Amino acid sequence: MMETTTDPPAVDLTVSIGSLSLANPVLVASGTFGYARELAGLVDFSLLGGILPKTITREPRKGNPPPRTAETTAGLLNAIGLDNDGLEHFLTHRLPYLASLPTSLIVSIAGRSIEEFTEMAGELDGAAGVDALELNISCPNVSGGVDYGVSPARCEELLRQVRSRCHLPLIAKLTPNVTRVDEMARAAEAGGADAVSLINTVSALGVDWRRCRSLLGNGLGGLSGPSIKPIALRCVWQAAQAVSIPVIGIGGISSLDDAMEFAVCGASAIQVGTANYYDPTLAQRIAASLPAAVAELGAHKWMDVVGKLQMP
Amino acid sequence: MRKSGSEDAPFLPDHAGFWQAEIVEQCRLARDTYRIRLHAPELAALITPGQFVMLRCPELRDPLLGRPFALYDTIDDRDGRPAHVDIVYLLKGKLTHLLPKRSAGQELEVWGPLGNGFVPPSRAQHAVFVAGGIGQTPFVALAKELTGRRRYGRPPRVVSQATKVTLCYGARSAEWLAGLPDFEAAGCDIRIATDDGSRGHHGWVTDLLAELLETADVDWVATCGPEVMMATVARMTAQRKVGCHVSLETPMACGIGACFSCVVPVKEEEGGWDYKRTCVEGPVFPAEQIAWEV
Ligand SMILES: Cc1cc2nc3c(=O)[nH]c(=O)nc-3n(C[C@H](O)[C@H](O)[C@H](O)COP(=O)(O)OP(=O)(O)OC[C@H]3O[C@@H](n4cnc5c(N)ncnc54)[C@H](O)[C@@H]3O)c2cc1C
Ligand SMILES: Cc1cc2nc3c(=O)[nH]c(=O)nc-3n(C[C@H](O)[C@H](O)[C@H](O)COP(=O)(O)O)c2cc1C
Ligand code: FES
Repeated sequence: MMETTTDPPAVDLTVSIGSLSLANPVLVASGTFGYARELAGLVDFSLLGGILPKTITREPRKGNPPPRTAETTAGLLNAIGLDNDGLEHFLTHRLPYLASLPTSLIVSIAGRSIEEFTEMAGELDGAAGVDALELNISCPNVSGGVDYGVSPARCEELLRQVRSRCHLPLIAKLTPNVTRVDEMARAAEAGGADAVSLINTVSALGVDWRRCRSLLGNGLGGLSGPSIKPIALRCVWQAAQAVSIPVIGIGGISSLDDAMEFAVCGASAIQVGTANYYDPTLAQRIAASLPAAVAELGAHKWMDVVGKLQMP
Repeated sequence: MRKSGSEDAPFLPDHAGFWQAEIVEQCRLARDTYRIRLHAPELAALITPGQFVMLRCPELRDPLLGRPFALYDTIDDRDGRPAHVDIVYLLKGKLTHLLPKRSAGQELEVWGPLGNGFVPPSRAQHAVFVAGGIGQTPFVALAKELTGRRRYGRPPRVVSQATKVTLCYGARSAEWLAGLPDFEAAGCDIRIATDDGSRGHHGWVTDLLAELLETADVDWVATCGPEVMMATVARMTAQRKVGCHVSLETPMACGIGACFSCVVPVKEEEGGWDYKRTCVEGPVFPAEQIAWEV
């Protein structure tokens, strides 16, 4: 399906996110690609538009008790709980490797307060190799932080504060677990975000009725994978209608067709998530197949197919 | 709380590959238990006992992710080169119920070798394996290696030989006991316990270990199976100051260290504990490192 027998047509795949220019629109989603080092033996990083390592917090976090994942019909429930070693460890142990990779690096951060976000953004601003920040204001599996993803006023204020402390392009990662995702996107734009990315996982529950227990150690979790794609497409379309900054589409992408569906709905870039777990080279294969798909719509530039959806 | 060691954790997937592997054959070993033989020469050459692979049905979205399975054994071609990988699986959920319907010639996606596997101590005279249910699968290859019957890895790794290898194998009842001829051929002295007394000792497999620890010079214990069983084995061996390794079974979404779903609480050198990923820092751990009480 994704093999091209003829030479790929000359198609411009570049995308701008604020001052950052991505070589192509295919990124890998935070939390689904480790810190990239884990995938080194399997993936050709130079073929990716960029990498988002797992979200980091200011202090180390143990994360949630296991079980942390459970598979559902064409989907995955997770409640990892932002298990990470903290900002300092990231800067000394993870960043040097990530910065050396031949692709763009977008660092994902989460804070419990505006101060934590701004402090982290400030420290990462000067760090060599960091091309942009994604503010994870949408993790459903920890308390705190997600407030910035459900209240437009708080979201806008957070972006404003981080913007004032940091020159890097800022991406606000949004949750689908709100009534009006377009309002959240507008708030992020008003606060100074260079792009919004969505969706993070869908708040969900899996149960084992025989044991009368939740499938996850945390109780509630977040759903990802092919089963959430239609929700994600709807959110991306609504956000793209609402803002003029780029929208980055995430949610259930597991084929070239999925990526193109997000593009026509208004996604200037896409992130491959759960699919990395069983097919780590999917993202690079999608990137390689995009020129032919863009050409199929009669376009010479990726950006010319973005938002082409005609709604009745 | 720092994940001490995780930055130094071996990047095992560096040595792993993704393959479409043809099914060579399948056979039923015991109740709900099957052996599947995959044609995967590269994997067969690399993998060592206690390591695992992820298996997945290509093109399916349900089941979506791969599932972890321990190496059962590798099989050579006519020229004596590793060619096939044997996996023994118990019918459990979505993937394992699909597998028996797949026939020879069809392909599965397989990635590996994954995890650290067993590294037997150099001075083990008498090695004892304590297996509960399907937890028996890693021990055929390990027994063959310890008794000098087969070598694994590239280049084939050198393991100091044990003079005696005993398998203590517990199952619900006799009809679930799988692969006994394989363990015999691997040179194991086999002791059996069943919950219903239909074969061997009527009771816990750990009773068999207690008897061995009492009467024999046991140098090393390796265990795999239900967590309560492994925790008991860990406690018993600690009391006797006998070295013990456990092979843990946690849910895994990726098997390569990318998702942080497969964690277990591991004690830290500086005190306290932290979650470690069983797929890259395990699945085999020294028993005394696991914080069973968490
Ligand atoms: C390192 C490692 C090595 C392993 N080696 C082996 C091995 O050699 N052989 C082997 O057989 N297994 C092995 N396992 C376990 C094996 O990975 C799981 O049993 C397997 O994932 C089951 O896949 P499934 O799709 O059949 O089940 P899934 O559908 O994924 O089910 C997942 C869980 O849900 C539960 N479940 C599913 N369906 C039901 C149901 N109808 N009612 C109640 N509960 C249900 C099961 O208990 C299971 O734990 C290993 C695990 C690890 C981590
Ligand atoms: C196990 C797991 C861990 C995740 N961890 C993070 C994380 O640390 N930070 C983040 O912003 N998103 C995280 N996500 C969400 C993904 O980045 C993505 O938004 C979501 O899974 C939807 O995309 P998908 O359906 O392609 O997976 C995680 C998802 C999964 C499945
Ligand atoms: S299974 Fe994904 S990190 Fe271990």
